[in-house]
Amino acid sequence: MGAGLAGTVLAPATGLVLFPLHEDVTSGGEEFVMVGDRAQFGVVPRRVEIFADRKDAWNRVTRVRIGAAFVAVKGGTLSAFSTVCPHLGCGIDFDEESSCFKCPCHRSSFDLEGAVTEGPAPRGLDALEIEDRDGSIAVMYQRFRQGVAQKELLG
Amino acid sequence: MSRLWAWVDSRTGLGDLWREAAGEPVPGGARARYVFGSVLTFLFMQQVVLGILLATYYSPSASDAWASTAYLQDQVTGGWFLRGLHHHGSSAMVVVVVLHMIQVVIAGAYRAPREFNWWIGLALGGLVLAFALTGYLLPWDQKGYWATQVATGIMGSVPGGGGMQQVLQGGVEYGNLTLTRFYAVHVFVLPLALGGLLVAHIYLFRRHGVTPPATLSEHELRQKTQPFMPYQLFLDVLAMTVTGGVLVALTVATHGADLYAPADPSSNFVARPEWYFLFLFQLLKYFEGPLQIIGTVLIPGGVATFLMALPFVDRSPSRAVSSRRRVLLMVGTLMAGVVALTAIAAVEDAQNEGYQEGQEMARANASRARELALEGVLPEGGSAVWRNDPAYEATVTFSERCAVCHAVDGVGGDEAPDLGAFSTRAWLVGAIRTPRTAAYFGGTKGHTDMEAYDEAALPNDQLDAVVEYLVRLRDEPEVMPWDEALAAQGAKLWEEELECSGCHEVNAGEGGGAPNFAGRGSVEWIARVIRNSAGPDLYEDSAEMPSFEGKLTDAEIEALAAYVHGLGLE
Ligand code: FES
Repeated sequence: MGAGLAGTVLAPATGLVLFPLHEDVTSGGEEFVMVGDRAQFGVVPRRVEIFADRKDAWNRVTRVRIGAAFVAVKGGTLSAFSTVCPHLGCGIDFDEESSCFKCPCHRSSFDLEGAVTEGPAPRGLDALEIEDRDGSIAVMYQRFRQGVAQKELLG
Repeated sequence: MSRLWAWVDSRTGLGDLWREAAGEPVPGGARARYVFGSVLTFLFMQQVVLGILLATYYSPSASDAWASTAYLQDQVTGGWFLRGLHHHGSSAMVVVVVLHMIQVVIAGAYRAPREFNWWIGLALGGLVLAFALTGYLLPWDQKGYWATQVATGIMGSVPGGGGMQQVLQGGVEYGNLTLTRFYAVHVFVLPLALGGLLVAHIYLFRRHGVTPPATLSEHELRQKTQPFMPYQLFLDVLAMTVTGGVLVALTVATHGADLYAPADPSSNFVARPEWYFLFLFQLLKYFEGPLQIIGTVLIPGGVATFLMALPFVDRSPSRAVSSRRRVLLMVGTLMAGVVALTAIAAVEDAQNEGYQEGQEMARANASRARELALEGVLPEGGSAVWRNDPAYEATVTFSERCAVCHAVDGVGGDEAPDLGAFSTRAWLVGAIRTPRTAAYFGGTKGHTDMEAYDEAALPNDQLDAVVEYLVRLRDEPEVMPWDEALAAQGAKLWEEELECSGCHEVNAGEGGGAPNFAGRGSVEWIARVIRNSAGPDLYEDSAEMPSFEGKLTDAEIEALAAYVHGLGLE
């Protein structure tokens, strides 16, 4: 009986602790977000901020910055990289001088294609889906698991 | 009084308890090197009391955490001081834990029969680090946010760690639940665990007593034995007082703990952990790709295992230092490794320009954000503090009213000049060389009178002189100083050779069909253009820009002018 009683409390307690494992606690930005006009982007990656409505557990906020991306045009095609470093999640910079992406945390660098050229990052920069809608550029902002060789979508 | 005490004592046995505690014999006599445990207990108590005080102001949610911390730090009486003490108190705990451990290792106190107490001690040390890690995130400022990203990222990168990370941070990304979870762990789980283990630690310590120096013979030990009270107690209290004094001095000297700008997931930040984690941070840099796990888990885990196994590694029959050279050398090497890695991390940052710049910017942002927070922060969250900035309002006004025609750095309309670097020298050069391109007046219906001056009409050196003259006319020496000789040369060209003065007047107030250039580019001038660009000394009847006089308030116009002006500060 004691075990049963303990179970009636323990089961919900475990459920409560593990809730974020199976439930989407945060959401927002699962759609394409406009980031600018085609003409604004060139070979040199340009940093754009991603604004979206976001639900964070019990809060809902509208038009907040949920992240950022680097957008560039290479050989006529558009590409977008998340600014989240695939090593352990710091925000990367673009260094114009050396024309590569650099992470301020553990000195990972990436070339214009997003490939790792130096440092501990286990994979290249995470490309984001990008669309050209009659000259308006939209990006789908997503987060990926850090520190692993495979690009693995979170959530 | 004594009758009251006798009554309390008879009902509780407090007297016996005190006599037992105070009279505990210290074999070999009181020693300064026995104080660390007491100092740690004292520090823990202090952290608990300070933590409770901080908790009376702190609000653990993504929308409130930063704002409530900023409020405590910058507005509540004594807030910065108590928060600073709590912050430095955690550093002090780490330092004393290490000293305590070194003393235990040197004395050989981890050996039988004290193995359990050694393990409990190691667990306590781990808890102290867990306190530091969870506490770092709570202010929800840039520093805590990004440094903790790295820590939870490490957790997620080990096989099977993804789920653990998700449970700890309450979801796949940081948010409200990350804070409530870290908070619950920091203020309930860890203190209870630490308190419980501390009781066990002290109990076992009392059971086995101190580990006196091996150099004293049994006879000497007995002979020199002193009771805890007053001898050791005196040293303990002295050490606590010194520690407390150092903490107060440190807190005052540093004006408490840092508080950076509110966490912003779209920014990038030169994330660094607390100084006592720098060696781990440095270790991350050495192992690339799939080898990462060596730096994140295997080495730290190996060291922890080695320390746990120390009672078995050390099999020498005596606890005399001379018979334990090998073990002491190993522990010494470890310590040296930690110190070396920490030093390398510090030196690398000191030599890294990018880091220095990042730090400087972070500090500037921090002080601006905290200044704005004094007006109160909107409930959307810490980042909403930027909306208190008149400049922020101006950017909103700009995007609503101006961006239809004016771009900023290519973003926005193209019917009027791009204001991205408005009135900088480079902008002026462009406006003279290529006035009819999209970045200048190319998209504007009127303003066709201004001709492009190519190199043949205006060689580069003359162009520079004219531009310098325009800068002088702007007359803002604080933000845009000019080269007087060059400007004078430009003035001469202007008057005597070029045709500019045919349309552009340079004496305030005069009109000539094109904008008068006296004060052109200053905040005041920009505000006049916004009010009514068709003024007699501005664009007159060729004005394309609507007048905003009456549509925007004076304050809005001034903020907008300041914003545009700011875009062009070099
Ligand atoms: S987080 Fe980018 S290198 Fe570590």
